[in-house]
Amino acid sequence: MKKTARILLMSFIGLLFVVHLYAQERVITGTVTDAATGEVLPGATIIISGTVIGTTTDIEGKFSISISEGNKLSVSFIGYIPKEIETGLLTNIEVQLMPDLEQLEEVVVTGYSTVRKSNITGAISTVKASELSKMPVVGVDRSLAGKVSGVRVNQATGAPGDDVSIRIRGVGTIGNNDPLYVIDGIPTKGALNVISPSDIESISILKDAASAAIYGSRSANGVVVITTKKGASGKQTVTYNGYYGVQKHGKLTPMVNTAEYIDIYNEAARADDRDIISPEIAATFADVDHMESIFQMAPVQSHQVSISGGDKKSQYLISGDYFNQDGIILNSFYKRYSFKANVNSNLSDWFRININTNFASTKRNIISNSGDGASSDKGSVVRYAFFRTPGTPIYKENGEYVDLPQNPKFLGDGYNPVGLANHFDDKERRYISLNNVLLEIKILKGLVFRSNNGVNLNIKDRKKFYEEWGDRGIDAPGSATHSTAINTALTTNNVLEYTKTFHELHYLRVLLGSEIIKDMTEEHGGSRQNYPQQSIYFRYLDAGIGEQTSYGNAWEWALTSYFANLEYIFNDKYLMTLTIRRDGSSRFSAKNRYGIFYSGSAAWRLDKEPFLANFVEKANISLLKIRGSYGKLGNQEIGDYPWATIISGGYDYPFGGLAQREQHGYAISTQGNDEVKWETTKQMDFGIDLRMFQNKLIFNADYFYKVTSDMLIPYPAPSIGGSASYPWVNAGSVENKGFELELGYQNHAGDFSYEISGNFAKVNNKVLSLSGEDAKPIIGGEVDNNTFVTVTGVGEAIGTFYVYQMDGIFQSTTEILTHAYQGPNIKPGDVKYKDMSGPDGVPDGTIDAFDRVYAGSAIPDFTYGLTVNLAYKNFDFSAFFQGVQGNKVYMQINKDIEGFYRAFPVTERFYENHWTTENPSNEVPRAAWGGATNNNRPSTRFIEDGSYVRLKNIQIGYTIPFSSGKKVRVEQLRIYVSAQNLFTYTKFSGLDPEMQTSENSAAEGDRAVGIDWGTYPSSKTYLIGLNLTF
Amino acid sequence: MYKTLIIILLGFFLYSCEDILDTDLKGSYTTETFFVSKENAILAVNAAYRPLSFATDGAEIWVVGDTRSDDAIKGGDAGDKADAADIDNFTENTNNGVVATLWANYYEGITRCNYTILNVGAMSATIIDNELKNRIIAEAKFLRAYYYFYLVNIYGDAPVVLEPKIASELQIAPSTVGEIYAQIEKDCDDAQKVLPVSYPPAEVGRATKGAAIALLAKSYLYQGKWKEAHETAVLLTQPPFTYMLMSNYQHNFNVAFENNAESVFEVQHLSHQNPNSGNLLNQAFAPPADYGMGEGYYFNLPTQNFVDEFETVNIEGTDYADPRLDYTLGRENAQLPWIDDTITYSSGWTETGYVAKKCLQPISEIPGNIKGDGDLNYTAIRYADVLLWIAEAYNEDAMPALALGYLNQIRERARGCFQVDENLTNYPTIPSGLLEDISETDQNSLRDIIRHERRTELGFEFHRYFDIMRYGEQYANKVFKDVDHFNYQQNRYLPYPQRELDTNYELRNYQ
Repeated sequence: MKKTARILLMSFIGLLFVVHLYAQERVITGTVTDAATGEVLPGATIIISGTVIGTTTDIEGKFSISISEGNKLSVSFIGYIPKEIETGLLTNIEVQLMPDLEQLEEVVVTGYSTVRKSNITGAISTVKASELSKMPVVGVDRSLAGKVSGVRVNQATGAPGDDVSIRIRGVGTIGNNDPLYVIDGIPTKGALNVISPSDIESISILKDAASAAIYGSRSANGVVVITTKKGASGKQTVTYNGYYGVQKHGKLTPMVNTAEYIDIYNEAARADDRDIISPEIAATFADVDHMESIFQMAPVQSHQVSISGGDKKSQYLISGDYFNQDGIILNSFYKRYSFKANVNSNLSDWFRININTNFASTKRNIISNSGDGASSDKGSVVRYAFFRTPGTPIYKENGEYVDLPQNPKFLGDGYNPVGLANHFDDKERRYISLNNVLLEIKILKGLVFRSNNGVNLNIKDRKKFYEEWGDRGIDAPGSATHSTAINTALTTNNVLEYTKTFHELHYLRVLLGSEIIKDMTEEHGGSRQNYPQQSIYFRYLDAGIGEQTSYGNAWEWALTSYFANLEYIFNDKYLMTLTIRRDGSSRFSAKNRYGIFYSGSAAWRLDKEPFLANFVEKANISLLKIRGSYGKLGNQEIGDYPWATIISGGYDYPFGGLAQREQHGYAISTQGNDEVKWETTKQMDFGIDLRMFQNKLIFNADYFYKVTSDMLIPYPAPSIGGSASYPWVNAGSVENKGFELELGYQNHAGDFSYEISGNFAKVNNKVLSLSGEDAKPIIGGEVDNNTFVTVTGVGEAIGTFYVYQMDGIFQSTTEILTHAYQGPNIKPGDVKYKDMSGPDGVPDGTIDAFDRVYAGSAIPDFTYGLTVNLAYKNFDFSAFFQGVQGNKVYMQINKDIEGFYRAFPVTERFYENHWTTENPSNEVPRAAWGGATNNNRPSTRFIEDGSYVRLKNIQIGYTIPFSSGKKVRVEQLRIYVSAQNLFTYTKFSGLDPEMQTSENSAAEGDRAVGIDWGTYPSSKTYLIGLNLTF
Repeated sequence: MYKTLIIILLGFFLYSCEDILDTDLKGSYTTETFFVSKENAILAVNAAYRPLSFATDGAEIWVVGDTRSDDAIKGGDAGDKADAADIDNFTENTNNGVVATLWANYYEGITRCNYTILNVGAMSATIIDNELKNRIIAEAKFLRAYYYFYLVNIYGDAPVVLEPKIASELQIAPSTVGEIYAQIEKDCDDAQKVLPVSYPPAEVGRATKGAAIALLAKSYLYQGKWKEAHETAVLLTQPPFTYMLMSNYQHNFNVAFENNAESVFEVQHLSHQNPNSGNLLNQAFAPPADYGMGEGYYFNLPTQNFVDEFETVNIEGTDYADPRLDYTLGRENAQLPWIDDTITYSSGWTETGYVAKKCLQPISEIPGNIKGDGDLNYTAIRYADVLLWIAEAYNEDAMPALALGYLNQIRERARGCFQVDENLTNYPTIPSGLLEDISETDQNSLRDIIRHERRTELGFEFHRYFDIMRYGEQYANKVFKDVDHFNYQQNRYLPYPQRELDTNYELRNYQ
């Protein structure tokens, strides 16, 4: 499609140069082709040298022109090096034009400006629209996974519409690691899901200090710069992109059936001297696979239409998008309607205005996707599907849901997962509008003023209804909560940019700018108890008759900034960029309010050096550049009022007993620290960019080293100072170092063309210091009250698992007695832990907290992606693999389904391998609740390797040919079939190795990733799609 | 036009508003904006009461007070609340959740007290009158003493924090048990000088002078300061105090008689509030689901050993038990109907055959769907308890004869229930020979009798474990003779929570 547009444009421009044709002595015909690809070039201009007489090539690249003897023909085409041809006596010539790589080169959008790709001195990765369109996913964030080196994308869960976390070059802090997003020049938080991937023109990821520093105090975690599509002059183009597909679940964890459950229950009951399930009781049990029953085949569809066009003066693009995804778990869904309009108008030759507006309305139903309910009000449906014993049926004979098991002693007390999923009425609606107006004024030649003004509105509305269900009245008698948060962000950034080339040797670009951001959020909500009528028409606050509450609050922050950016290139060989930014942030107290951030970078175009000219030519090198950068970046994502110690209500107490209302109480809920200041990251980057064989081969490599200092930490303080949330303090530093490789090769052989590209990134994360009088490791990963499974300590990665070392299983009483003391009541079959140390630093014959060991972290050793694109005639094929290696997952869910938490089912794995006197396993302990405290100590028993390789996407497309002669206006029609997550290779035993975090750990950030509580898995998706342009 | 526009835009470009960086906190108080009125001073001290309540997850004192003692076992489903089972079995480790919860709960209470004492103390007379100010500070001091009292009895040596501290100041080594008691005594004494004897109805539940004196007496008693103990406790039997025993023992565990004359310090609960202020023990101790009473977790089940402690007489082939037994727990063939009249108690409900009753309300008061939101208060210090302290202290102070009167008041009320409670099977006649007055004056024999009386009078009010431990090693070893690995020195106190050891290295190094 893009190419067609270009051809049309070229033809159009070509015609402009044609004055007229008149008869000469003879006619010469010919074809103009691309020397690199052999493709014909329609619209190339052929002019008789020294005259204004000429013609253009037709759609098949052919031309014919009358010439006189001795005339030379000059053949030119935009983006190619012009060629002059002696005609001699020839009547037919083949003209091959070499692409002009400099001119064809794409322009990369960076901070507040653009730069030609070959002139980049920093580490910037880009993703083009064509690559994004291959992945039919809901949001652009998901499509970045595996596409860009050094960018790690993880979805919190597989639930439709759930959040995605992006980490650029590792984890820089214990605090917030989310990158800054800049959409059409306006910095914004998240909100990526609202933009249809089809509306995106390009994405630049500013990874190093040189490229990100212009965003100052918000740049330390990298910057994702997104540019949406704009209209182009030319005829009106209408495109449609749509697909429809079905999703299903992947591999499920095999759990015991009823017979096996009774077996294992009775074995445990005998071990603990409890009542066993008698055959009479057993006879009343059903046999249900609850895990299978929460899943469904779920449709997903997306339809996007865009219309664009315009003339030289004004261009427009309008698009609309509809996305609808049902979840693979019952009752979960996500819907999005979005609209985008872009108008660009050159009001005069010095004044341009560009208006962008995006609006999206989304709605999803949240069915509790992860966690055990400690941070929400119910645990994940998946978790309950694990917990529900197979002996309890889903439905009663009358079709109603079976509530809690009738006999919790024997069948546990897990919710009916199907009933639970189907009764989640938790609707989150979001209305997001991103708007900006860009004014561009050419003041003088080379001097431009740009003012970009954005108004973003983000309304989140959540309405939750607890419907009464089940025969014991779960959530009786109904209750509702409804809350609305309205966020408005006003941004204005104004830049002056001056560009000039002096003496054809010195290229200079200077940018000066200022930015003001004001961000305001107001939230209010209410709840009501007791709903006699619970049908969907009454699930509103007004319809309740019981107690009600209301609340409201507001937050705001502001940022004012000045920045400057200087780019200097000498003789196309030596490149240099300097950036400085000063930010003032409302989030810090007046004494620490301002921060200065800067970067410098330089690059050397070796391919332009005369002394290498020979080599460059021989090796067919089109670009060889080495570059280096250094700079200081900031991070201010620590909440809006970190300096304030906040006193809030909610600590009420009912004096006067029954006859009275309760009286209010206020206490400290959040501790502040008015000394808190900027977190800063200093980053160094060395890179090499190489392109060979007319850009067929592209290779980029980067080594980076970054250190975050004054790291903002919510330092977990001892409880003796109270339980209020911890204050942010600047304590400690973290190092991230690693390298990134990107390698791509594309070529063609006749009708067959192919493109292979891969990327690889390795990041080492290490805490260098934790300052303060006491450099204590910081605990995290709270999996149970008083049980933390990670620490962030000096010399280790952030959030490293810190647990006991399982050392097999006790096989005999003698072994228990001779082994280090683990506590009373240990029996053969219980887990044995290794005596690693003691209070004096040496093994002390007692297993206690001193014996915990570092056991890896959720941060992978390396990540990689591989894309293969093939095309033959009208067929195209693409496959995309993504992989992660060396990350660890703490299987908290296994504590429940292999650890005898309650009367809950166990995995087949446990059932078949657990320790008995006949099966003296050294890996899986005995079946007993009595041994649980010992056996479920947080230990390496629950740590698994989370490495995987996944075929994220495979696609086969066919473009239906429409020859130009036909009257059909269709320019392109492509149909494709595609599958996502078709195949995963992993040793991970859980549902989805891509799981990253859970609701439980959300507040703990990167200190607590990689803990699986039973998470909504991602789906396998099969779909059929259509791309149409006319 | 062209030039004007450029000038305007350049002006815009140069413009930068630094004022917008001053964003005030909205909708919440800070330390600077809160202590500006007497109303807010009251709000601050109110919050310091909340950690007393059984409305929050912090309220797990029963796990130590009863479950760990010989009175009860953990009960409940297999695996359910395994942390409590470990505490019951003396197998808890530093990761135990209850160990952390109690620690955090009492220290949060102390933190709120410290905050109130410091900030209300600094409020000027123009905002708050001295009388109210002093009362609020005294309330906070009483509460602080109360929380430290539990800390010192659960954990032994523990850090003492007496003013608000920031995170970096919280590396604090434990103080000894003696040092903590000294602080408790000081706070109680300060409080009793200021606190009123009583409050208007809407304020009932606040710390009174009597409560502060009682806690002081209890602290003396726990330290074996017998003379100070009886001298202090006996004050509560005299004017201005009007404490008396309720003629019906059950009225101490009955919503209709809350904050009665026997109540010295009572923890208040109220159902249907937001945030929740109801008593969740109503659910924790209730019998399992499917007995028509909503879903109970049947924790803290009474043992046979506890039941056997109660005195019985056999009259013409019928056993009559101390009526307090059936006020304390549910059992088959009891002298009283089960708490829900329409349901017949079955020993098959639980593994011991018994269910603790004092914290339960009938379904008619608290329906099944809000079972964890009970109204029932918890009387932390009951006048009966005070009388038994006096008896004990006199006896230990070598004045056994003086003890008898106080002891017999308790027994008289107990047997007298037969005359006032028409629900009791033998109403209105006291089975002859049951709970007769004690006349023993041998100190050692009387000690056993008083200990027996405490166990039956105060069963399932979360005092038993602390009594066993303060009675000393010999007594404890006898009580826990069936627990092979019981060791008084090692097991008397719970371990420090791992979370705390990992954040306070002074604590870690102290061990």
